[in-house]
Amino acid sequence: MRKAEAGRPWEMPDCAVTPEAQYVRRREFLRLFGYGLAGTALLPATMRAAFAGFPDSLNPSFKLDGVKLTPEDSITSYNNFYEWGFAKGQPKELSNRGWKAEPWTLELGGLCANPQKIGINDLIKLVGGIERRNYRHRCVEAWSMVIPWDGFPLAKLIDLAQPKLEAKYVKFTSFFDPEQCPGQRSNDLPWPYTEALTLPEAMNELAFLATGLYGKPLRNQNGAPIRLVVPWKYGFKSAKSLVKIEFVSDQPKITWNELAPNEYGFYANVNPNVDHPRWSQASERVIGGGFFSGKQPTLMFNGYEKQVAHLYAGMDLRRNF
Amino acid sequence: MWLLAIPAFTGRLGANPLETLLHESGEIAIWTLGAVLALSPLRVLFPNSRIMTALNRHRRIIGVTACIYGLLHFSFHVLYEGGLDGLARSLSKPFIWFGAAGLTILVILTLTSNQWSIRALGGKNWKLLHRLGYVAAGLLIYHQAIAGKGHWPIARWLLFPLAALQLARLAKRLSGKKRPDVPRRMSQKGLQAVQIPSSVRFR
Repeated sequence: MRKAEAGRPWEMPDCAVTPEAQYVRRREFLRLFGYGLAGTALLPATMRAAFAGFPDSLNPSFKLDGVKLTPEDSITSYNNFYEWGFAKGQPKELSNRGWKAEPWTLELGGLCANPQKIGINDLIKLVGGIERRNYRHRCVEAWSMVIPWDGFPLAKLIDLAQPKLEAKYVKFTSFFDPEQCPGQRSNDLPWPYTEALTLPEAMNELAFLATGLYGKPLRNQNGAPIRLVVPWKYGFKSAKSLVKIEFVSDQPKITWNELAPNEYGFYANVNPNVDHPRWSQASERVIGGGFFSGKQPTLMFNGYEKQVAHLYAGMDLRRNF
Repeated sequence: MWLLAIPAFTGRLGANPLETLLHESGEIAIWTLGAVLALSPLRVLFPNSRIMTALNRHRRIIGVTACIYGLLHFSFHVLYEGGLDGLARSLSKPFIWFGAAGLTILVILTLTSNQWSIRALGGKNWKLLHRLGYVAAGLLIYHQAIAGKGHWPIARWLLFPLAALQLARLAKRLSGKKRPDVPRRMSQKGLQAVQIPSSVRFR
């Protein structure tokens, strides 16, 4: 497991990320030989890892039948990523002016038996490649998307780090680069951005680390090269462009909760019955709808009640919002 | 209107076009209101500036524009919520009350922005009524500041300059009382005697 420490991210050749054309050609090749999509699953893990996980294959348990995927163009142009500015269009505009998500090192640390610094491609190899999952995404601002993420379960990374018994929470820290990042030059938010989950939440099968979407590496505005995706919680819990994942014993301070604890709870589970103090959470605007589409009802735990409700059994969700 | 219409026709409203229209119309409304409220203190501060005097003649149309954009903003809100259910739900939130109260004031001021109303109310009462514009600005800046995550950093760019202008005007008035050479229109009586008829004459 620890051998990865030797492999520095910049030693990874550029070809580790499959160019789109090659990606498409490979699909065609597979189809021609009659393997079909299922064929990718038959490939040895090492071979998939050589392509930094692309292409992936859709995990059938997370297909979300009957739900329309949000257009890629919307997912990559409508972002809350305050490091790059408050307006939804600013992350796309400002994060692509020379800022590089490569090379990138993710640090695993805190109360774990296997702390390490690791490059993203090495990490993908270690966890056995990536898969695709279609997840609902519900922003605390009452809009929503359906996003085909590429990545791997957070639980796999936790297995890799081997948290100690005292570890009760997992803390996520985003990058800090005020020189290139206009939003971080102001003190409107306490930088760097931090988030956290309880260990059982982080071990839940839904908790996901995304390295791509729509079969391509994550764009800068979406949190390249690696971000958290916690689909049953409001979007702000899913911290972007992670540099550090730590195991801690006490509930850590996290950005929005620290800034406005009465508005953004630690749990921040999607809950149509508990309004934000300033606006309703009962319904949501689906991105990609027309002028007259109105809003659709928001689902408890964003529709993932079956998978996660047990984590909060006996808890007063109105108080622990 | 063209400020909103041009991006709408060229398809540059982004992934959530109705939200863009909702936000832009609100922004235009509140900044237009800010502009019109900045005009009277600016004239007091720079009594000899021709630009200020000229701009002040157009206060009525600027104020009415703010109200029109405010009404547009309200219509987009109704559309965004997608009907009466959503609208009713939104009415449970203080941030909507502040917006609605501010807009109600703007509508009243717009409806009384004519010579008939000035005559019917009398210059003094009319002026007092239209001072509600400042109340509306306060309500609407608060409305803007709490409308979303992290909106205060935007709203303060409107609040602080407007407050500074009012303070400067107040300071100038207080110090001006001691000076005999202050222009006549700047004294309290002068304001009422000169200002109101001049705006009436404009039409």
